[in-house]
Amino acid sequence: MASVISAENLTLAYEKGKNIIINGVTFSIEQGEFVFITGPSGSGKSTLLKSMYGQIKPHDGLLSIGGLDMKKIKKAQLLQLRRNIGIIFQDYKLINEWTVEKNVVLPLIITGYSLDVQKVQAEKLLSHVKLSEYANKYPLELSGGEQQRVGVARALSKNPFLILADEPTGNLDEFSSGVVWDLLENACDQLNATVIVVTHKIPSIFNIAYRHFIIENGGVHEVH
Amino acid sequence: MKSIKDHLMFILPLMAMLIGIEFILIFNRVTTNYEQKLKDEYAILVVSKKEITTPIARGVSDKIDSIEVMNREDIAKEVTSDMQDTAMVAILKDLPFFYRVHLTSYLSLDELKDVQKQLKSIDGTLNVEIFGENYHSKHTMFRLVKIILNIFVIMLFIVSIFLVIKQMEVWQLAHKSRMLIMEIFGAPIMLRSGILFKIAFIDAIIATILNIVIFIYIKSTWSTSTDIDFIRDNQHLLINVSDFVIMLFTAIVIVSISVFIVAVKSSEVPEG
Repeated sequence: MASVISAENLTLAYEKGKNIIINGVTFSIEQGEFVFITGPSGSGKSTLLKSMYGQIKPHDGLLSIGGLDMKKIKKAQLLQLRRNIGIIFQDYKLINEWTVEKNVVLPLIITGYSLDVQKVQAEKLLSHVKLSEYANKYPLELSGGEQQRVGVARALSKNPFLILADEPTGNLDEFSSGVVWDLLENACDQLNATVIVVTHKIPSIFNIAYRHFIIENGGVHEVH
Repeated sequence: MKSIKDHLMFILPLMAMLIGIEFILIFNRVTTNYEQKLKDEYAILVVSKKEITTPIARGVSDKIDSIEVMNREDIAKEVTSDMQDTAMVAILKDLPFFYRVHLTSYLSLDELKDVQKQLKSIDGTLNVEIFGENYHSKHTMFRLVKIILNIFVIMLFIVSIFLVIKQMEVWQLAHKSRMLIMEIFGAPIMLRSGILFKIAFIDAIIATILNIVIFIYIKSTWSTSTDIDFIRDNQHLLINVSDFVIMLFTAIVIVSISVFIVAVKSSEVPEG
């Protein structure tokens, strides 16, 4: 299997190297794998995730996402890469002035798909996350759990090869969390997407095989 | 209310810039018109022992349009009004030829002096009078006003462009969250700044229309009833259709550059 993500002696830092968060870690993640990243608050979980969609450039070492060197990647290449990654945030990051339907198809709008394609895909995705009746509502009219389902639908809208989720259930109740985990399991199992989830707590019931990385003191350790 | 204020904060500096541009356009037309008038009414006086024709005069300077012979008898009559007819005949015999030389365009004093030299080089020329000081005094003042106006408009332009960019930054802050989300999902700069372009274009059109309305009002109402001869005489030069196109084009170019600057500045820079 080809590595979707590969890190070699990767160091991530802020303030031009003064504040090192991740220090010389090496790992690789293959296509279709589900990976949980856990660790204490401030350990660098979100920083590692941000480096995977190019929000932070590696300070040292190598980080390759989909075959692209994230240290040398050009702006245009980075935008192109991001169009093929689904990203889910703890605070949802929905565009509040847009309807739920339009939010869901944001990646399709960015890629330039026709309105017809957007419409069909939005219906399919909203049905998948059981929010069909909310298509014309605005995010602030929805509960937190519903907003996160919109966020998941948006992440899935272009069948991405990689899904990155930063504390996707951090603000949700047990029921909504269960729905989000099911959706992410399906994305990995049925769409063969690689899913990386940063979380404080791995769900007690999880139906597919997964890998578990712990970040601590700047290092990344895999739990076997 | 805040939205109206936000738009006005953008429209007003844009209008100031467009008014500056319109002033320059009008003043250029008035200057051209004035120079044309000066040129039409002006002639160099040439006194020559021999006859000079237009081709001969043009042969020494391409700035000469035509040459007009002054009636020697009229001149002789004026000189001999109190004398006998025989005196007039005698004077006519020795009287040189007088010519009015018309130019192709309005010339500077130095150019006039060049033409004077060239005319003097024609065989038989006794004297060439260019009336330079008269010709130039009004025009020099006109040019001074034009230079001052240009400096004023440039200053106005610089201040206004800063105000426009400042307002763009306010809008950018208002739309920051949306632009950031779009960038995370890979939207190119033009797409994520689309909303700024849209607002800015609408305001550019509004500013242009308001300016046109103001100048049409000045042209049709105020300038026709004013006691200032100069404005009344040049009323037809106040605004025309091409000004609308120039102003709209300028407004769109200014807002496009401003939006682009703000969009580039607001683009997320990855840390390393």
